Amino acid sequence: MSLRRLSSFVTLVVFVALAAPWTSRAQQQPPQPAPPQRSSQATDVWLNITGGGSRKLNIAVPEFTVVAGSDTGGMAKILAAVTGTDLNFSGLFSVVAGTGAIPPNNPAALAQSWNEFAAAGAHAGLHGLLALRSDRLEGEMRLYDLTTPEHRLIATKKFDAPLAQPRRLAHKIADEVVLQFTGEPGIADTKLAYVLGPLGAKEIVITDYDGVGPMPATRNGSINLTPVWSPDARSLAYTSYKQGYPDLYRMFPFERRPEQTLAAFVGINTSPSFSPDGKSVAMTLSMHGNPEIYVLTLATGTLQRLTRNAGIDTEPTWSPTGRELAFISDRGGSPNVYVMDNQGLGVRQLTSGGFHTQPRWSPKGDSLVYTSRGGVHDLWIVNVNGSNPRRLTSGTGDSQGATWAPNGRHIAFQSNRNGRWQIFAMLADGSAQDAITRGPGDATSPSWSPRLP
Amino acid sequence: MLTRCSHFVFSFLLVAAVALSGCAKRPATTQAAAPAPTGAATSTAAPPSSGTATAQPTTPGGGSGATTGGGTATPAPAATAPARPVPKDFAAVADLVDVFFDFDKYDIRPADAKTLDANAGWLKSNPNHLVLIEGHCDERGTNEYNLALGERRAKSTMNYLVSQGVQANRITIISYGEERPQCTEHTEACWAKNRRAHFLVKPR
Repeated sequence: MSLRRLSSFVTLVVFVALAAPWTSRAQQQPPQPAPPQRSSQATDVWLNITGGGSRKLNIAVPEFTVVAGSDTGGMAKILAAVTGTDLNFSGLFSVVAGTGAIPPNNPAALAQSWNEFAAAGAHAGLHGLLALRSDRLEGEMRLYDLTTPEHRLIATKKFDAPLAQPRRLAHKIADEVVLQFTGEPGIADTKLAYVLGPLGAKEIVITDYDGVGPMPATRNGSINLTPVWSPDARSLAYTSYKQGYPDLYRMFPFERRPEQTLAAFVGINTSPSFSPDGKSVAMTLSMHGNPEIYVLTLATGTLQRLTRNAGIDTEPTWSPTGRELAFISDRGGSPNVYVMDNQGLGVRQLTSGGFHTQPRWSPKGDSLVYTSRGGVHDLWIVNVNGSNPRRLTSGTGDSQGATWAPNGRHIAFQSNRNGRWQIFAMLADGSAQDAITRGPGDATSPSWSPRLP
Repeated sequence: MLTRCSHFVFSFLLVAAVALSGCAKRPATTQAAAPAPTGAATSTAAPPSSGTATAQPTTPGGGSGATTGGGTATPAPAATAPARPVPKDFAAVADLVDVFFDFDKYDIRPADAKTLDANAGWLKSNPNHLVLIEGHCDERGTNEYNLALGERRAKSTMNYLVSQGVQANRITIISYGEERPQCTEHTEACWAKNRRAHFLVKPR
């Protein structure tokens, strides 16, 4: 990081701290300096990325400027809006309202616009330059520090996207802005897979992370369940009854590549979970008479059995290191979360006393989210050593089936609080719960993809 | 056990020796031959876009992506083996009565054992019929656990019938978890109807 960039960052941090009284929640409490935090990436981090937090950076995202091609579709306006929505979703930014396009190659007009946005409270300005080519969209992101009189340029970067996927250009720009301020890319350029449909005819659908642009991934008229992304975000493992029985398959939804049958043994073939290196899939098979957890090595087709218990063992989920798996078992009388190493040894019980299912290990490795059944189902989170279980959802209806965003800051889940099943998202501390899917039908079993290749 | 083993071999055409030894001895860690996924199964991840991005080699979200369906499945041993009977070939018969289960349980209740005794009698009197036992759950709990629970209910039911003299190789089980309730209201009366083992038959 250059000295020049560093100084501008420091200026921003100081300014954000000073600006705290302007933010809505900070008006109810004395401003506290935000200590810079360091991520595991050893990059300087200037925004608190651990929770909902009260302090957001105000950023201006004016309509993009068209520098080449004809914008007959109004893409310059749409992409700025998508980028702004992405930044708001991150929980780190508050997009400052403002309109009007900035003409190309006009420094005076740009400076005037930034002055107006700064006066409206913006700390940073994002200017997008858009070139519409015959076969693709090209975009350049220019990020400015509006707390300095000269509107110092913080970073520039170029991206492109196929014409058919303009939203990806906006998502990539938003993720780069998050990277510039936190040291870790955002999660806007990701997908959600989920199950849609009535009982008895459930199909898998893939959308952008924000629920926009659903596309069918299965069309077999059968029951398709529990899609799970591979670590390279190019394939989904899922259970389907399309051959009559609950078997496990792996599809490549973005490629013309044949589907694989992962497991079609007698009994159930369910609950896939890719190992972090993508080379293995943990799953539940009952071919030996009882639901047990196995690991399939994809390259060789070798199966290794990890559990051996008279009760139900299912729902394996890998730790991000690949050294351990969490799973659920009713060996103690009712289902609870257990942890074992990747050879099936060293089993320890993580939750007790309840009806606890659907464990999902956090991407940072420090905690697991799971579903607890009381009168209804709600999501809880527990430290990896079993300490400090705490509730994330409450109130009307059920909330269950959690899936982590790749940065570990967001969790998507399914809830019927509005009368039908919808996919919701929230920050990992349980704040900012909001519906992602709003269309007809029951949407369940979300899986949040890793960052797209 | 012998019938289970032979059923297993017929069903999957796996390496017979491995399957038999796995079935007979149940070693602590089973290294069974699994259907080898076809194609390059361990494709590595392309790095997340960074720097000046170029055109993406793959196009997630594009409309041209081939959707999956029955036609694109790759041949794999388990999928191509004409092994398990087709569930939709089976039909209900009035003489075989459902049995029911307590919440989160898969043991056969005494009253239901009498039902199963009658079912076993019918099956022994009609030896030319195969039977499919469906295991079902109510909507409470979560669906992957319920798939396992439904499996255990079907299995308990099968084991009881076998103990009453029904040949195990006439019986196939399938779990639908909570996916096929026969009653869709959110009440205990309705849930109790859904926690069941259901019987379907077809001639051999």
